[in-house]
Amino acid sequence: MSLKKQDEMDHNAWLKNQDLTVIETAFLTTLIWLDKRLRIVDYLELLETMYYRANLQMPKSHTEQYDLDNKFWYWYPLYSLGSLSIVAYLVAAVSGALLGFYYAPSTAGAAAQGDPTAAYDSLVMIMKDVQFGYMLRSIHRWAAQFMVAAVFLHMLRVYFTGSYKEPREVNWILGIVLIGLTLLFGFSGYVLPWKQLSYWAAQIGVEMALATPIVGEWAAQLLFGGFTLGQATLVRMYILHVFVLPFVVTGLIALHVGIVWVQGIAEPH
Amino acid sequence: MTDDTTPMTDGGTNAEARTDGGPPATVPPDDETPTWSERKERSQGLAGLTYQYFERSRREDEDLRAESTYVERDVLGFPTWPHETLRNLAITSFFVGIMILVAALMPAHFGEPANPGATPAIILPDWYLYWSFGLLKLNPLNPELAVLGGNIVMSNEFLGITAHGIIFGVIGLVPFLNKGSARRPVEQPFWAAVGVTGVILAFTLAALAIQNFFPISLDLLLTLTFMLPVLGGIITYAVLKTMREGYMYDLNRRYYMLRPPK
Repeated sequence: MSLKKQDEMDHNAWLKNQDLTVIETAFLTTLIWLDKRLRIVDYLELLETMYYRANLQMPKSHTEQYDLDNKFWYWYPLYSLGSLSIVAYLVAAVSGALLGFYYAPSTAGAAAQGDPTAAYDSLVMIMKDVQFGYMLRSIHRWAAQFMVAAVFLHMLRVYFTGSYKEPREVNWILGIVLIGLTLLFGFSGYVLPWKQLSYWAAQIGVEMALATPIVGEWAAQLLFGGFTLGQATLVRMYILHVFVLPFVVTGLIALHVGIVWVQGIAEPH
Repeated sequence: MTDDTTPMTDGGTNAEARTDGGPPATVPPDDETPTWSERKERSQGLAGLTYQYFERSRREDEDLRAESTYVERDVLGFPTWPHETLRNLAITSFFVGIMILVAALMPAHFGEPANPGATPAIILPDWYLYWSFGLLKLNPLNPELAVLGGNIVMSNEFLGITAHGIIFGVIGLVPFLNKGSARRPVEQPFWAAVGVTGVILAFTLAALAIQNFFPISLDLLLTLTFMLPVLGGIITYAVLKTMREGYMYDLNRRYYMLRPPK
């Protein structure tokens, strides 16, 4: 057996046999070179599949099949609330990432009690000096309000149309977890400006944690970085808001929507 | 070239460690690799049970499919592109536009810097946590819940936290308590009434949280907090029960026109 490498599909010989222009030769040579290393063909096949998928027809929904549209059309906006909460989440994510360029999670800089801290000053800077900054903060805040409102209304829609029923219990419970995390998102974001209401809302959070037996003190240490509020609290809320929760919530939303995809939408009957 | 008994740097010998060239020791030759059906037959315990259950479930699916009269057609609805895609894009842009418009019309409010030395007159979270804040103000109920000779069993704050747990727990239990194929409020007046009770309770708890703004006595407010939801629930139940007959008649007529009973 020869040790010499053999090209079973001799692409170069195939290239030579063809009567090609310079551009075609260069294109094919590059394509073959890249494909040998990166298996581009596989991805092209995926793209092709997606192209044909996009031209597929969606199956008729229950309401279309039984011609119930004239009875149910006014319900349809309620069926887009879950989608609205994802849209609001994405808007909040983009505006929040932009705000993150200017925000400083620090309580430094206050000479006396009640003086503005670095965090507060960075918020003032965003609102007064940064081009478009006030608008950006307003969009972030309103996107958060829309998301929480949409999530609550989404839960009411699911409840009153009985969409949580067997076999969708798991997704209902996942939804409850997501609502809790959304509220935690809102709470941690509320603390970040380190204004009076932020501080005292966090204070209530610490007191709630400390009132819980057994795990309370541990929870206060973990979430608020101690029993009194300070730099540690602000940084923990910041990391929770911009690092931990985004990953967890995005993953759970993907799972939530994935389960809806697998189980099918519980349509009006 | 080292022979197999030369000590390696980690103290072992070269005898069992093989790199390129030798056949890997752990993977059996092809003809000894068990097929999936062989693995299924060999598997015992939990794995065996799993296979057995999957077999049963697949058989059940096939039976149901054989019984069903449902006919799958090739083309049933609108194309993904452009119909569905454009509609979804339109809805998304509409929502984003509304958000930006509201943000422009009502910019975010900003308050005083934090002052640990001065408690503000009114401490409030964002509106979506009012209900939660209201649960922390249930302390007048606490002595009445006590069983041990009038002493309170748990602190006022812990009472509020327990209430949170109860509410989340009850919501989580709903799908395990409410079974059956009824979907609309008219088909299940009781559960619709429970839902309306919950919604009104969220609002009355929010009112309890901002009790300073209400010109009525705290006792009355506390009573209303729990009586209004119950009242709303009873009214919902009565209304839906009354509506039910006519509504179900309409619905059944419509359904039987489309899907005549066998």
